[in-house]
Order: sequence, then structure tokens, then C-alpha cells
Amino acid sequence: MTAMELLRECYEIQGKNFDKAGEVSGEIKVVLRDLGIDAAHLRRLVIVAFEAEMNVVMYAQRGTMTLIVTEEDINLETTDEGPGIPDIELALQEGYSTASDEMREMGFGFGMGLPNMKKNSDEFRIESNVGKGTSVFSKIRLPAHE
Amino acid sequence: MSELKHGFRINTEMCQGRMHCMRACPTRAIRVKNGKAHLISELCIDCGLCLTVCPTGAIAATTLTFAELDRFKFKVAVASPALFAQFGMSDTPESVGRALLELGFDAVWEYSVDIELIDRAIAACVKKWPGPFPLISNSCPVVVRLVQVAYPSMVEQLIPVDAPREIAARELKRRYSQELGIAAEDIAAIYITPCLAKTISILQPAEEEKSHLDGAVGISQIYNDILYKLRTGLTRENASRKFSFSGEMFHWGAPEGEFPSLSREHYLPLTGLTDIIKVFDDIEKGKLRNIEFLECHACQGGCVGGNLTVENLYVARSKNLRLVANMPRSVSKFEEEVQRRYAIEDFSLRRSLKPRKIEGETGDLRGRVLRRKKAEELLKALPMLNCGLCGAPTCKSHAEDVAASRAEIGDCIFLSPDRIVHLRALYLDHQDTK
Ligand SMILES: Nc1ncnc2c1ncn2[C@@H]1O[C@H](COP(=O)(O)OP(=O)(O)O)[C@@H](O)[C@H]1O
Ligand SMILES: [Mg+2]
Repeated sequence: MTAMELLRECYEIQGKNFDKAGEVSGEIKVVLRDLGIDAAHLRRLVIVAFEAEMNVVMYAQRGTMTLIVTEEDINLETTDEGPGIPDIELALQEGYSTASDEMREMGFGFGMGLPNMKKNSDEFRIESNVGKGTSVFSKIRLPAHE
Repeated sequence: MSELKHGFRINTEMCQGRMHCMRACPTRAIRVKNGKAHLISELCIDCGLCLTVCPTGAIAATTLTFAELDRFKFKVAVASPALFAQFGMSDTPESVGRALLELGFDAVWEYSVDIELIDRAIAACVKKWPGPFPLISNSCPVVVRLVQVAYPSMVEQLIPVDAPREIAARELKRRYSQELGIAAEDIAAIYITPCLAKTISILQPAEEEKSHLDGAVGISQIYNDILYKLRTGLTRENASRKFSFSGEMFHWGAPEGEFPSLSREHYLPLTGLTDIIKVFDDIEKGKLRNIEFLECHACQGGCVGGNLTVENLYVARSKNLRLVANMPRSVSKFEEEVQRRYAIEDFSLRRSLKPRKIEGETGDLRGRVLRRKKAEELLKALPMLNCGLCGAPTCKSHAEDVAASRAEIGDCIFLSPDRIVHLRALYLDHQDTK
């Protein structure tokens, strides 16, 4: 049984555009803050959104992030057209990263993105097709429904 | 929490509704309806930009007047280091201290010790902190309020160490009541403030405790009087008074940062609200975690550039740098006093800081989502020019106001062209009569 959906918003993310990186998660943050989501949950949501957005920017051509607010939880679904992840288990390990030196110089690519997203989610799932793209689902339950 | 107070007042009589304040406000807390500005209290963070840009002087800081000070038996001035950067290169901190006595203060507190104590308490807190990083300084009340209003998820990163002015006030009351045998209630600790935000942190501290300070006097309020005393000479009695202001004090509130002892790599000083907001946006996304301590001052250039200072920021800064370079450092008496007090005093913030409840948060999630959707729908009919003629700073805020039943959609001049007649009566005709 799924809870009643209250809000669904979809945002486009451009791959390889480091200039705009963080804008989508920034917008989502403002939406959630204005909806009065409490501080602790907001913090977790923002971390998940930012890391998901960065992975699309770093590794994929393009993608979308969909924010779904229900009465019980908040969901972030990030889907991209990109190279996909051949070994999801490995990608989820702390410190594992295929980021280029260039990206590391910009301060990304410490291999903590996916692990942190998982840690901050109540439910977390990755689906990937090598050569096609990746989808990442994260659910964070709201206070009364934890 | 009791009703929110602010460090300034809008004088409706004097207000000509020219909207400078509304456009400058970083948290969109001002509306101008019927030619008069008014405040949405819960959104205001007391940055004072409105006061700085008002063309008619209708916004004034609610600092204490000198007459009000007279009700205290024993008045002690705690002067922001920014005060000493306001005068000429040859006006020493000591002579400025003496001028304060001439103005009627019974004592001038030697603030350097408290600043050094907090410097150490902060360094110790940073070292022990388990995370999340970066910790954010809380001595600027605007920064604290900005986090409480716009970055609720970062409230726990505000460093839980009290401000030096509070520690100073606590200590001076203890000291003078002991030395002079007067009740602590009869002693007033008055902060000589470079900005209006500190008056509000005294009136209504963000941590919802009672301030140890009893009021604030703006630097701009007493600047002329001090200057006059400096130039006309002091009475014999005061001219012989000695102070020991240590050089450490002048790092406090300076744009180069207050903590020369913290490692540059992990410590970042920031000034100016626009830049602070940019950096906070990054932090909220989980960036900058390698920074341990972020020192933020809402005024461009730090407290020497505060909105109640007089001297041009760059001149004041250069004087400040001189003071840092020339004042004696850590004389052994100073160091002894720091060690003595550090061992026995508690510097932690007395209560933890909480996010501020804002109106958008009332009601259930469903209601809030509906309101948001309504605002989005309404926005489609607006011109996106942010002309401000409806009385809100942007079309978006107008749509939100309407959705929250704070305004009528027809206040937009594009939807109700007839409103120009009303506006003409308010703005043009009223100018004719001048
Ligand atoms: N959307 C994606 N498309 C392709 N590969 C990805 C994607 N997201 C993550 N990866 C792979 O998983 C690795 C680990 O990701 P993450 O934990 O976010 O660390 P980082 O991005 O710092 O490398 C990345 O280096 C990359 O190889
Ligand atoms: Mg990543």
C-alpha cells in the first residue's frame, strides 16, 4: 500500500555541466524547507539529493530528479542516460571511485557519495543497465511514520 | 517563544514607501502597502540593510539613549573593538576609553581578556567536536538568525560557545559587585555596538536565555561626543586612568578573522551576507566538510564595517590593522588573568539554538503542499518583472502572500490597471505638496 501522493516535481540535470552542479538539489532544498520539513530530515534529504545530482553531472550525459512527497515519506528518484554501473556492490563501497583526477581536483570523487546516500535513506535501491543508464531511488520517512 | 523583537523600528510617519528597504532585504521580510513599509517579523534576521538603504531615515535602531542609561547606578561600558578603529591614527584606545568615562560611564571594561578566553574556548570546542563540520561562529547575531530562519538543518553547527560580550558582562557584574559592595542588579553592562543586531541579541537572545548585558549604545550615537572629548581634553581625574587593551582584542570582528591561532587550512573567515549565503548553500549540500570552523560576519568587512559605525570601512580597517600590530601583546598580567579565568569559568552557550518556527510551517503537510501549489498557479498570471508595485519584493513573494491570505492577487498593477490611480495619489500627488 502506498501513501497518498501530495506533490511530484521533476527537475532536469545536465551531464558534465559543473557550473550548474548543485542547482537542482538547491531548488529541492528550498521546496522542502518551505514545506516545513524538520531540520534533521531536511539535512538527510539534501545530502541524498546533492550526491545523486553530482553523480549524474560527473558520469552521465543527462538525467532527471523527481521529488515525490507523500503524507508519510519523501522520495527522490534520479534517472540518467549514461554509462551505467557494472558492479553496484563495488560502487557502494566507501572510497570506491572512478572519478578522474580532474574531478578530484575540483573537490569531487571521494567515493563517499553512494555510501552516504544509502546511510541517509530509510530505503535505498540502485538499478543500472551498462551502456544505457542508472536509476537511484531513495526514501526518507517523515517523523510520524518512522 | 514570546513575540519576536527586532533591533530597529520603522517610523510610519516618516516612511514615504520608496521600497529601497523591501528590495534590499535578503530574507524578503518587508512589504510596502499603501505607501508604508512594514515587517513580516518572523522572516527578519536583523541584518540592518533596510536601515542602511532607507532614503528618508525612517528606519532607526532601537539602541538605548543616554537619558535611559541614567537609571542605572553603576554603568560599565563594554566597547566593541570596532569602536577604537573609528578615530584618528593618533587616538589611542586608552584615550578613547577615557573619553567614555567622561561621557558618564563609571568604568570601561578591559575586554581583551574575555575575547582571548572565547578564542581559547572556541579552539577547544573545535578540537573536541565530533561533527558535523564545519562549525559556524555565533558571535554575529545576524548569522545566527539567518541559520535559524533559512538553514534550519544547520542549526546544530552553530558553535555552542557564548559570545565574548556576554562573558564580559557576566564577569564585570561579579567583579564590581564584589569590589564595590553593590548589588549585581544595580550594575549595568552596556555594549558599545557597531551594529543594530547586537541590540536584539541583548533584548532577545537567540538561545532564549536572558542576556548578561543590559543594553547597547550604537557607535554612531556617541561618536561625536567621544570625538569632542578627545579634542577638547579630559578632566585630570580621567586623564590619569590606565587601561590595558591587548593587541589580541583587535582581531575580534576584523575581516582577516578573529582566530590567528587556528590553522588556515581548516578555518575560513567570511564577511558579507551575500557571500555567507553562497557558502551556507554549499554547506547544506554537504560540501566544505574539510573546514572545521567558519567565522561569519554579516557586515561586509566584519564588525569594523558594522551598520552603526561611522568611519569609512577601509579607513577603519587600516586603523584596525595598525592596532593589531602596535598594541602590546600578552603581557604577563594579561596571560595570568586569562589562565585564572579559563580554569574556573564555563563558556558554553546556556541553551541550545533551535530553528525559528515560521508561518509556512504551521498546519499539516497537506495544507502546506496545497498552499505551495496555489502559489505556483497564481504566479503564472504575474508578469515576473518584480516591479514591487504590488507591495511585495518579487512576483513570487506576491503569489506566496496571496496563497497565504496575506495579500490580494489584484494588488498587481498588471491585473488591476486602475490601481495606478491609487499609486499616483500615493506617490506623485504627495510629492507635489512638498
Ligand atoms: N549515475 C552514475 N552513472 C555511472 N556511474 C556511476 C554513477 N553514480 C556512481 N557511479 C560510479 O560509482 C562510483 C562511486 O560513486 P560515489 O560513491 O558517488 O563516489 P564518487 O562519485 O565520489 O566516485 C563512481 O566513481 C562511479 O564509478
Ligand atoms: Mg558521487
